[in-house]
Amino acid sequence: MTEKLKDLTKVDLKNLDKIFYPKNKVTKGQVVEYYIRMAPKILPIIRDRPLVLTRYPDGIEGDKVSFFEKNAPEGTPKWVKTKVIYSTTSKRDVYYIVCNDLDTLIWLANLAALEIHMPFSKVDALDKPDLLFFDVDPEPPATLSDAAEVALLLKDKLLDLGLTPFVKTSGKKGLHVVIPIEPEHTFEKARAFVHKIGVELTKESDMVVSEFKDTKKPGKVFADYLQNSPMRTMVVPYSLRPTPDATVSTPLDWSEVKKGLSPTDYTISTVVKRTGNPWKNLFEKKCRLSLS
Amino acid sequence: MLFFSLALLIFGKRLNLRTPNSLLERILAVFGEVNVVLEKQETQQEEAEETESEKTSAAAPSRSIWSGNITIGLVNVPVKLFSMIYDKGVTFHFLHKVDGQPLKYVKMCTKDDKIVPWDEVVRGYEVAKNDYIVFDQKELNAAKPESDRRIRISKFVDYFSVDPVYFDRTYALLPEKSKDAYGLLLKALEKTNKAGAGRITLRTKEYPALLHTYKGALVLTTLRYVYDVVDPADFEPLHKLEAPTKAELDLAVKIVTDLSGEFDITEFEDTYMKRVQEMVKQKSKGEKIHIERPPEVEAKGLMVALRETLKQLETK
Repeated sequence: MTEKLKDLTKVDLKNLDKIFYPKNKVTKGQVVEYYIRMAPKILPIIRDRPLVLTRYPDGIEGDKVSFFEKNAPEGTPKWVKTKVIYSTTSKRDVYYIVCNDLDTLIWLANLAALEIHMPFSKVDALDKPDLLFFDVDPEPPATLSDAAEVALLLKDKLLDLGLTPFVKTSGKKGLHVVIPIEPEHTFEKARAFVHKIGVELTKESDMVVSEFKDTKKPGKVFADYLQNSPMRTMVVPYSLRPTPDATVSTPLDWSEVKKGLSPTDYTISTVVKRTGNPWKNLFEKKCRLSLS
Repeated sequence: MLFFSLALLIFGKRLNLRTPNSLLERILAVFGEVNVVLEKQETQQEEAEETESEKTSAAAPSRSIWSGNITIGLVNVPVKLFSMIYDKGVTFHFLHKVDGQPLKYVKMCTKDDKIVPWDEVVRGYEVAKNDYIVFDQKELNAAKPESDRRIRISKFVDYFSVDPVYFDRTYALLPEKSKDAYGLLLKALEKTNKAGAGRITLRTKEYPALLHTYKGALVLTTLRYVYDVVDPADFEPLHKLEAPTKAELDLAVKIVTDLSGEFDITEFEDTYMKRVQEMVKQKSKGEKIHIERPPEVEAKGLMVALRETLKQLETK
């Protein structure tokens, strides 16, 4: 008896030959395969986190617009875990998807959730972040290469403080730096700490701005601290982005962060070939911060 | 309760909030010039039993297609919108006579008869014969109206003053969270025989709409625009109708009167659909074509990836 696709996954995969990324003719099937291959690296990081999706049912240039989705859609199978969180802004319960297994990840890919976003805390302690997040965001003409320069300054500063920073490309123009911490502080304190580091960075480089009002200044790199808030999110490591080249938010070794870094070096076709995983031990090195 | 008080403010009256009943009375008095006598709704129970035994109606859908608020001035009644109309009919699939495989549609270039991939398709608006202005999907998306999650009711009208030729599609409205406001609006419309006239944006189109009651529910019927309906007066043959003689008219009126009765929708059925269903029943006793679909090429690669990943996850 020959093994069938449905013997390997509960997900009823559909329309696999649909083109999702027209420029390189990347199909939905390739997107699903990408997430299957990356699952061992993605799952440990997104485990027990309420996820936010951006779905592109007709691909990134498709007929329908993409949409942001928090609530588990109609027809969500029973085996998909969800977490109910009351939204104070829309005044209703939102059923967030929690992805702790391969089938759920495949199911997300089948929903055309090209982009997956995660908050900086887990379902059991939503108000206590276990990651500090620095969004190193260059404003053109500043580039990823400039962001790399700033990220390296940031790295040295964090190492000096005895912290262990991890870095990934955003998949677009910036870099994301995270520090795993014990979930024992509030977001408010975490945010203040990240902001403080940003302010200190401005003293070391003219390129850096630390305040939101300065974000649109051309050629500057913004050290964004504002995302360190409950249910604010970052794109998850190894998530695809809706760019023409199907770029990936890719975890890097610090040795790879240097001048000339380009987002298009890390795409759906190149990232699967990368051996090793710079974020492998992310949660084994939780730092303890004493925040006032 | 909040809805009630707002409702009262809107209608320009400041009233005491005591019991829902006295409140209902007062609001109804404002809604229309009816003499309000509140009695228990004894009919509902009977109606429910009746529909139970008949069961000729379509199955109720389980998922709503829209949720938002009925907005009357400052009052919001949160509701969910459900499809109420089905277009049942007979559907056949096109198969290839030779091997029974399902057929699909492709878009072909009219110049060289080559199949055009979807990402090479744009939309053209024909401004003159063979002259097109080209739009891509992004441009069109930008022009689409935003769904504002509101059924905006601007006034109340006599339900029968809207001619059915304008009726487009009817949706059931169910209360979301607060049943009080919903129930109040329902009862008020039932008592006054009025319908709310307003508008709604569904998906990307804005419709005129009529909010009315149907069998103990608030329902919304989207309406057609006046420019989508032909005025029969524009048909030439109707311009010179000859007046009938009195005798003819009397006879015709007598026939109409003699044949008058109650309208019963259940007397009608789609005889073509019924016959086809019988044929299907007959034929299914005989030979059936079973199609063995070739596995998609993509699926093979996925299976390889799945086996490898599953193995990796196991060993962890």
